[in-house]
Amino acid sequence: MFHQTTTKTVTILLLFIGMAIYTVFAGFYGRELVIEAAYLVILAISLDMVAGYGGMVSLCHGAIFGIGAYVFAVLTGMMGVSPFIALVAAIAASGLFGLFVGAVTSRTSGIFFIMTTLAFGQMVYVYTFENRALGGDDGMSGVARLDLSMIGIDTNDSLQFALLAIVFAALSYAVAAFIMRSGFGRTLVGIRSNEVRMRALGLPVLRYKAFAFGISGALAGLAGTIAAQQTMFVSPEMMSWMMSGEALVIVILGGLGTLVGAAVGAVLFVFLQHEVSEVTRYWHMVVGLVLILVVVLGNRGAYGQIEHLLERRKKVAPKASALEVAAEKDASHA
Amino acid sequence: MNFWIVQALNGLQLSMLLFLLSIGLTVIFGLMHFVNLAHGALYALGAYVGVSAFALTGMYWGAFLLAPIAVALAGVVLYLGLIRRMRKAGPMNQVLVTFGLIFVLLDITRIIWGDLALSIPEPQLFTGRSEVLGVAYPTYRLFIIGLGLTVMAGLWLLLSRTQIGAMIRAGVDNDQMAACLGINVERLFFIVFCIGCALAGLAGAVAAPVLSVTPSMGTQLLIPVLIVVVIGGLGSLKGAIAGSLLVGFIQTFGAVLAPQLASVAIYALLAAVLIFRPAGLFPAKA
Repeated sequence: MFHQTTTKTVTILLLFIGMAIYTVFAGFYGRELVIEAAYLVILAISLDMVAGYGGMVSLCHGAIFGIGAYVFAVLTGMMGVSPFIALVAAIAASGLFGLFVGAVTSRTSGIFFIMTTLAFGQMVYVYTFENRALGGDDGMSGVARLDLSMIGIDTNDSLQFALLAIVFAALSYAVAAFIMRSGFGRTLVGIRSNEVRMRALGLPVLRYKAFAFGISGALAGLAGTIAAQQTMFVSPEMMSWMMSGEALVIVILGGLGTLVGAAVGAVLFVFLQHEVSEVTRYWHMVVGLVLILVVVLGNRGAYGQIEHLLERRKKVAPKASALEVAAEKDASHA
Repeated sequence: MNFWIVQALNGLQLSMLLFLLSIGLTVIFGLMHFVNLAHGALYALGAYVGVSAFALTGMYWGAFLLAPIAVALAGVVLYLGLIRRMRKAGPMNQVLVTFGLIFVLLDITRIIWGDLALSIPEPQLFTGRSEVLGVAYPTYRLFIIGLGLTVMAGLWLLLSRTQIGAMIRAGVDNDQMAACLGINVERLFFIVFCIGCALAGLAGAVAAPVLSVTPSMGTQLLIPVLIVVVIGGLGSLKGAIAGSLLVGFIQTFGAVLAPQLASVAIYALLAAVLIFRPAGLFPAKA
């Protein structure tokens, strides 16, 4: 179950504040990295909501992310719609697609769920890839950025846009944490641990799973709109199953089922990608090896490992004192 | 009429390639519930080893023989180093570990063979075209069809007529019961895994003269192969045959008859099968 523990609050605050400070002092390239990290944070959090808490390991989040980006791009770039309306429409479209996929796949589980989501994701990818009206495999440029000039923010300035992206990431974390703490989130965890029992309790289990997938889809769509605004360009690459896989890798690197872990994983991933590609072209191999190691070593991820160590220390302390109490009692009886 | 025959042969050729890959994947899954996403990467490895073997021996048949052996050896290393450990870890962890393996294998092939597309020529025995039902069709592609049908028949005999086939079928049906009957399911899995890898390597070597050999060829073919396996029914030989024919023909005929719908059609079929018959068209278990 999700608890907004002190460890979590401290970690997530440090992460976002650190990103913001880095952004202020970084050059243009550094800011681009921060923006990438920020939308990956949102995408990873959205995936962690369904995979970590709902037990639904989705391989179509790349496609949902792409739907958000494409809807935003089509509306602003091709139709000249205001970016605000485009943002809302993009989030709604990805949410609806998520809801649809969730509703259709909620009966399946395990490897069948993974495969079905993969099928839906690939359908979207292939459709976009072959649709000339959407630019086909060349993608589409001319995407507009949000116009926030009335509150004095210039989104075409890389520093201000990067800070805005961090704000979006922080808001997304807050929304996800709020949902996971609510009755809805707790029910979702209940379904993951024992679906049959939850059904016996009279809960509309399939509806819960579908809605969770819809909410997660909406967040993934938001991430897509930021990605589209960053480069002002969208391409089918962002929808492929490798993107979904990358999102999953990020969640695992940080720690599945913690939300904070997803955010940590995204920042780590971008950092790793950047640092390793400075040294070698073969950064995919390093990511692959790290992923294998993380899974083989108990699948806790970076943040999960920290939390595990802290909790173990906490748990050991009361146990010892309880023993002492018992020993004292024994001594007094004797 | 000629059009239909040529397209049917194209469909059959793609189906055979898909079959060579999916049979290994499906039996591995059926026997041990192990999801090996790296199967496609092993196929790419087979194609690359084929390129090197051709350069070494100067003959296509060098590639044809060495690629399956090399990939089977790679399979042994993977099995002992990683897969044995992940067998009971659940689908999620298996997907992740083999996903990591894709990354690693992809970069290993790029480090050894570079990024450029490579190819090997067809064997001299099968160059040119042959007459089939009044149509001139590339002989090498006919060879692929023939090879696929031979492997299919061979596996059919192996699985239905031999003792090891009976053991494999028993393991797929109920691995715990098979273990109780004294079948060493672990060793059986190891053997099947190696055969599956060898077939993936063979598919790579066979595909190399037709498709160009690129680092991403494995990831491109992985998805159709997974679709074949899931449509047919995990762990079922019949399902792998039916699934590869279905996918091969839909892709080939779709591409010429309804290019807009073709590639989506496969995924729509997969989604429909998963929703209405989640266990596939020919489930391995009753």
